Amino acid sequence: MNRKRALISDTFKVNKRRVGNEKQFGAVSNGEAGPLDVKATLQDLMTLFPRKLFNDALPQIVLKHQLYSIHNDRTQVDRQLSDLREQGELLMFQLGFDAEAFGLVFAADYKAKVLAGEEGRGTRGTVDKFLEKVLPSCNDLSFNKDKMLKEFLFTDSEITQLVKSGVLTVRDAGSWWLSIPNSGRFTKYLIQGRKAVLGMVKKSKYNEVLKAELEERQTNSQVKFQIKYHIHDIIGAELVECIPTTSGTLLRCVDY
Amino acid sequence: MLGFLTARQAGLDDPLRLRRAESTRRVLNLELNHDRDVDRIHSNGVNTIDIEVIEGRYMLSGGADGVIVVYDLENNSGKPQYTCKAVCTVGRSSRYVHRFSVETVQWYPHDTGMFVSSSFDKTMKVWDTETLKPAEVFQFEGNVYCHHMSPIARKHSLIAVGTKDQKVQLCDLKSGSRIQVLQGHRGEVLSVRWSPRYEHILATASTDSRVLVWDVRRASGSLFSLDQHNGDKSKASSEAVNTAHNGRVNGLCFTVDGLYLLTTGTDDRMRLWNSANGKNTLVNYGKVSNESRKGLKITVSHSCSPEFVFVPCGSSVAVYTLHTGELVTMLRGHYNNVDCCQFHPDYQELYSGGKDCNILAWVPIVRPPDVEEEGTAAKVGGCTQGVIRPGSPEAWS
Repeated sequence: MNRKRALISDTFKVNKRRVGNEKQFGAVSNGEAGPLDVKATLQDLMTLFPRKLFNDALPQIVLKHQLYSIHNDRTQVDRQLSDLREQGELLMFQLGFDAEAFGLVFAADYKAKVLAGEEGRGTRGTVDKFLEKVLPSCNDLSFNKDKMLKEFLFTDSEITQLVKSGVLTVRDAGSWWLSIPNSGRFTKYLIQGRKAVLGMVKKSKYNEVLKAELEERQTNSQVKFQIKYHIHDIIGAELVECIPTTSGTLLRCVDY
Repeated sequence: MLGFLTARQAGLDDPLRLRRAESTRRVLNLELNHDRDVDRIHSNGVNTIDIEVIEGRYMLSGGADGVIVVYDLENNSGKPQYTCKAVCTVGRSSRYVHRFSVETVQWYPHDTGMFVSSSFDKTMKVWDTETLKPAEVFQFEGNVYCHHMSPIARKHSLIAVGTKDQKVQLCDLKSGSRIQVLQGHRGEVLSVRWSPRYEHILATASTDSRVLVWDVRRASGSLFSLDQHNGDKSKASSEAVNTAHNGRVNGLCFTVDGLYLLTTGTDDRMRLWNSANGKNTLVNYGKVSNESRKGLKITVSHSCSPEFVFVPCGSSVAVYTLHTGELVTMLRGHYNNVDCCQFHPDYQELYSGGKDCNILAWVPIVRPPDVEEEGTAAKVGGCTQGVIRPGSPEAWS
């Protein structure tokens, strides 16, 4: 559409993304050169995930709200994520500890790790079938009994095998969440680390810490992931407020 | 701005475009102005504010002490420093005053001769503004959380009332009786709103986390329930299926054209819905903190581009862009929780009331006068007192 006259909202720069320049004092610019690229950000965040900790058994997981800490426009991020999911490149999982915490994994990564984990196990055939049939066609986070039996033609015993292998987790009677095998330790370490990092912010004088300073701090044994991973997590989940100052971004604990 | 003016002059642009541009500029410049004040009459927290739609001159406020006050918002003094005076009050000394806190007040949509107030003393009173006596009193079995009269209704004069009871009651002003009951909620009804587009469409929000949309002409029940996952049953846990929020829904507001509906809930989320088919537009506003146990009054701007929504968030008012979910600014100024806010469409001002018993007026920043030459700077500085505010009534004449 050739718009000869500017939109009123552009004149007041309410929605317009300013490209590159005009940094706010102190606040680090997002580094978006042009339109929002969620996929590139995802790949950046994935590098923060510690693979060695889980002996390479888990695919790299990024939480959806970590993206919100990098990009300002949440609605756009959500839309691009649903596009990526439609294309089949990205998978979203309900992690279980919070109704709003969703984990994102690249589909190729997920398939590779799950099949590697199934090597030599009896359930391998069923899991294979599941990955081939269900994942490309269905974008849901959970499946219920009807769907599994009728649409995908799995038998009860096959469903039990899938739960045993960790690909499905029980949600309630007759329905299951899609899940990442062996992700229990991930969730445990995430919650532990989140608590520890939040504690670090709370213990500071005035309950606030400069983001750059927090990144440099030594972490105790509770924090198993890189501290940057946890910082993106707490900013995105809005457990801390981000305040731009002349010395950089300040993270202040939110009281509730 | 000059671009818009020249385009309007040359006839390249619709007159409405210049108006929308100026309204948007004014809303983006809202701030507290020490020249504008509202009389402080309430002694115990302001729960609700309503500005009449005909002239935009009189404002009603209802407080936690049961007192109802009418203010005159118009500045006839000729000076920029102005306090909105209370014209009349239904105070504690009146025989007919509400015994407990007033939760909702609303002017009669067609003239200021009448207003309706509802309160925790389980009554709803229809007052005559001239004599300040109730012309009609409706009794209910539970605390009345909110009521609303349709602003566009010609064929009916129904007041929808949400109480502690699960049934939404419809009271008729003409006959003075409760003629209809809408059954469908499983919890207390915290907020009710008529659509500003169709006079028979009503939306109700309740503590059972659901928002139901009704057509009052239909006998058999609600039209549909708003579902936050748009029917995608896989996203949520099984209890959260077919709910609008993951907690109590306490704020409801239609946009001015009636095409979209905003809801806020105690799960700290605000959602924008398409009011025709009930689909969640999935605009992500982030965390909109909400701790209110009763209804929260949110409001939207009028004829701006883009539209803004004003939400009381703790002790400040958050301003979001409606369709993109971007937080524009937080208006800080209250000393305690803000309970209600109301937008004045003609002057693009926001009035907000809270537990600190103050009603604050957020006014667009006055544009400073242009200094043409160095020599006249002193003269211009001296006569700022007489400067006419760009949006004030005097500037139009």
